[in-house]
Amino acid sequence: MATGELLRRAIRRHRGRMTAGVLVLSLHQATEAAVPVAIGIFVDRAVATGRVQPLLWCVLMMVVLFAVLSNAWKTGARQVVWAIEYETHLLRLEIAQRVLDPRGHRTGLRSGELLSIATSDAEKAALVMRAVSMGAAACTALIVSSVSLLLVDVPLGLGVLIGVPLLVLGIQALSPLLTRRTSSQQEAVAQTTALATDLVSGLRTLRGIGAQHNAAARYRRSSEATLRATLRAASTNGLQDGVTTALSGLLLAAVAGVSGWFALNGRITIGELITVVGLAQFVAEPVGTLGYASQVLAMSRASASRLASVLSAPPLTTTGTSTTIDSTQPLLAVEGVSHGTLSSLTLVLRPGESVGVLCYDPRDADALLTVIAGRAPKHTGSVLVGGTRLEELDVDAVRRTVLLERHETDLFEGTLRSNLLADAGLERVMTAAGAADLIEELDRPLADRGQTLSGGQRQRLGLARALLAEPPLLVLHDPSTAVDAVTEELLAEGLAEERAGRTTLVLTSSPALLGKMDRVVVVSDGSVVAEGIHSELAESDPAYQEAVLR
Amino acid sequence: MNLLPIAGPRATWTVLWRELRRLPVLSAVAALVITGASAAGLVAPWALGVLVDDIAGGGDRSAIARVVLLIGLAAVLAGVLTALGVTLVARVGETVLARIREQVLDRVLQLPAPVLEKVRTGDLLSRVGDDVASVAAALTEVGPSVLGAALTILLTVAGMFALDWRLGLAGLLAVPMYYLALRWYLRRSAPYYKQERVAMGERSEAIIASLRGSATVRAYRLEDRQLEKIGETSGTARDISITVFRLFSFFSSRINHAEFTGLTAILVTGFFLVREDSVSIGAVTSAALYFHRLFNPVNVVLMEFDQIQTAAAGMSRLAGVLEIEPAPEPPASPDPADASLELQVISHHYDGPEVLTEVSLRLEPGERVALVGASGAGKTTLAAIAAGVLAPSTGVVKLGGVDVRDLGEDRTRAQVALLSQEVHVFSGTLMEDVQLARPASTAEEVEAALDRVGASAWVRALPDGLNTIVGESGHPLTGAQAQQLAFARLVLADPPVAVLDEATAEAGSAGARELERASAAATAGRTTLVVAHRLTQAEQADRIVVLDHGRVAESGTHEALLASGGRYAQLWRSWTGTSTPGQPAGRTTPANAST
Repeated sequence: MATGELLRRAIRRHRGRMTAGVLVLSLHQATEAAVPVAIGIFVDRAVATGRVQPLLWCVLMMVVLFAVLSNAWKTGARQVVWAIEYETHLLRLEIAQRVLDPRGHRTGLRSGELLSIATSDAEKAALVMRAVSMGAAACTALIVSSVSLLLVDVPLGLGVLIGVPLLVLGIQALSPLLTRRTSSQQEAVAQTTALATDLVSGLRTLRGIGAQHNAAARYRRSSEATLRATLRAASTNGLQDGVTTALSGLLLAAVAGVSGWFALNGRITIGELITVVGLAQFVAEPVGTLGYASQVLAMSRASASRLASVLSAPPLTTTGTSTTIDSTQPLLAVEGVSHGTLSSLTLVLRPGESVGVLCYDPRDADALLTVIAGRAPKHTGSVLVGGTRLEELDVDAVRRTVLLERHETDLFEGTLRSNLLADAGLERVMTAAGAADLIEELDRPLADRGQTLSGGQRQRLGLARALLAEPPLLVLHDPSTAVDAVTEELLAEGLAEERAGRTTLVLTSSPALLGKMDRVVVVSDGSVVAEGIHSELAESDPAYQEAVLR
Repeated sequence: MNLLPIAGPRATWTVLWRELRRLPVLSAVAALVITGASAAGLVAPWALGVLVDDIAGGGDRSAIARVVLLIGLAAVLAGVLTALGVTLVARVGETVLARIREQVLDRVLQLPAPVLEKVRTGDLLSRVGDDVASVAAALTEVGPSVLGAALTILLTVAGMFALDWRLGLAGLLAVPMYYLALRWYLRRSAPYYKQERVAMGERSEAIIASLRGSATVRAYRLEDRQLEKIGETSGTARDISITVFRLFSFFSSRINHAEFTGLTAILVTGFFLVREDSVSIGAVTSAALYFHRLFNPVNVVLMEFDQIQTAAAGMSRLAGVLEIEPAPEPPASPDPADASLELQVISHHYDGPEVLTEVSLRLEPGERVALVGASGAGKTTLAAIAAGVLAPSTGVVKLGGVDVRDLGEDRTRAQVALLSQEVHVFSGTLMEDVQLARPASTAEEVEAALDRVGASAWVRALPDGLNTIVGESGHPLTGAQAQQLAFARLVLADPPVAVLDEATAEAGSAGARELERASAAATAGRTTLVVAHRLTQAEQADRIVVLDHGRVAESGTHEALLASGGRYAQLWRSWTGTSTPGQPAGRTTPANAST
């Protein structure tokens, strides 16, 4: 979806509320413009005459004016805010849906960037509706002011209507300078803040080598540099404020002079003089609002284009529609595959077999996992699951058959129990995964997505989750690296028992795990160099010995 | 959890006032100039009133010329003073903020060990990050406008009273209404804002959990569950935001009522005063225009009140950090005599049961001792105590014969370094990262240190070599590379004693061997205590100490311990897979396991 279409769709989706909002907000701006006019009329008709009846009428006028003004804003702004909030929500869900598509996405964005697109960019894109409603209302205010001014006096009105926009535009000509200074200042502030959080994140590392004084000195230098950038921006800011104040004051002097002269000659009344002066001051506001609305629109477009690029990103994997997975065929047959560091690797898992793969180079393991996960669209050779090529299989059929539990265990908010996704045989499987110690804590809420758990605890939970899912083919990557030797031994035994009769592939260099596998395949320089059972390889192959007997 | 202190209003003002007094001249001039700027802004409405009177009284052209000139001059003066005033006020505010943030970070980096042990990193991070940012944003974005608006309001009220006290009083009728509106809004909105922040936090949490764990979400077909969760949390946040705005729109309406009351009161009062000839039509006009001019500044102050409150809260949290007393430097004591490390009858417990019981251990200068034990045996705690980072519940740690309590933080750190399991790559260039250990070191020294730990090959292969940006947003480093940087820092810091509690397991078997070489090179010639996460680390040590449930179970060389057939021999066989697993003795793995 293109950027413009995304923005237009936003407005279309909420056209009812938007129409109502724009109309009522325009009414509000018109009443704002009418306040100085009303002051003029009040002075002219009541204060200057001293008659009571006009006074009552004038008070009534003020009551009506402010009643309309206040209710119009309240009603209009609520409609627009409602539309913005709902649109933000819809955009956010759309992004989440796209990002979580089972076929992956080829955006190349990291999770932090995607988070900011799903939160901040979705919010900003929806602000297109604020820009449109604000802009429309400001135009109304300009029209009302213009008509009022022209009704008082045509040349005077024209003068104000040309002078004020010129003034506002002139001041905005200064703003590129301001924007540049401000953005370099914001960058400096962000850098200093990032440095502070970075140093505090590494606080224990710093304290361990006594480097806290050096770190403080580094922060002081960064803080000084930021202070200088901030002060530069502040002086530009001050200059702009000063110029705005002076120029609008001078314009007021000119308008007062001319209209004063007209009033002296009897061409306009005193009340009209007040109206003109009041409007001359007011007109700057809608003109400024138009400028601001255009900035909001630009910001919204920039965010919308980031949203659009995610929404239109192609999927990462090629999938088909076949659901034929023959359980008598090998559940995984990698035949002559070259990808990344792999060169024509062949690995076939017989049904019910457990196989350990030892890669001397961890990059081979990563490449093999990428291929098995179907995330290597450009590999040569073929990958068959139950006799059908991976690319031809329906994505859900594959996922029901093959489960890949990665080395880093992702946990979600909730409790340990909710993270394990199944209840049947929970305690047995937890024990098998070497996580018996966590059984008592199953219902404890998990803080911070399990980041407060130790690496070993997370790994064992991941293993338990994978075992509970009972997939026909389970692929594990280094499931025991953060687990101590005794527990690792227990875990290896439990894994073998739980997976008895089912197909399992474990990529690891742990002798405890390799020792429990039906067969061990050794991969070096991208292809299979040895095969056998652990104890034989450990006795006969010195390279294997060095790799596993750590 | 022990949170960091939050300063009261009085203490917060003391901190601000102390910093302001360091800039006496600048602060005074800034205050004077910004007040002058607001005062110059009052001339125009007053002069317009004079103009109205002149015309009503049938004045001549020269009267108009005088008024025009007056407004023009006031405009130029107001412009100059505004430009100067905004700049000066920013200079005062930003300088004060910079000093405070530097002091806060300095204090955080040097938190006394007992405090550091108890605070959450999240709290520290939000002080030096979010709080500093919110104070800075308030200062730069709303500070000048709010200050200017506040001054304008005060001066305008004074101006209205100068025209006529009765007109002034009429205008003041609006004040209680403004006050009530603000109080009404703040009371009602505070709980909603709190809910909104919580809801937004939950929404981000749901999104980030799905994004970070997207591989797992796909593997376990959890898309629908996660999308539902995102939809739910996002919907809740949306509904609260709409409610908050509804409240805000009522507030805004109340402000309009106040505006109406003030303006109409002035005009009606003016009507009667003009009728009895107490004031001129011009004065009434001026008063009405004055009041109309106040609409915007009053809105600025009211609308930004939230941000001002947030900034004030942030400021009191910053001042709270400054309230923590730094650890006192102990009185003079002899320097460590040699590189020995001695632990005498150490026992330790955190909030629960004892994790170390009467551990005694002496490392001779240059000796390398490995600590071995199952998860939860107390290895990491003992390492932290040996390095003087953690104070034991009972017992004494001596460096070169001197009690660490008499040495103080800085001298202890010069004597012993601790490499903990937390591996952190600092943002910035790789050279800056390593130089944190010794800022005065040259590029050659940094290279030599990297070379010693076997990192020079991959460092040279980086896009910009030593000047490659690493860390959070920089070039990604593997766990093993990050660990090598930690070793290079140790080489540069060059302490006589090193305590290593680093996890090498994540590196995979090939990387692990490389790291063991790096570790040996970095600690060569130092008295070294190693927490052995892999048994090869133990094999290379001069002596092995086996910890079991917080007690020393065995001690001796690798060969001697293997020969004795005890716990260590059992562990070794199980680890290398050369025999059946060990006895159930080592199976218990407490929840706070250190792996």
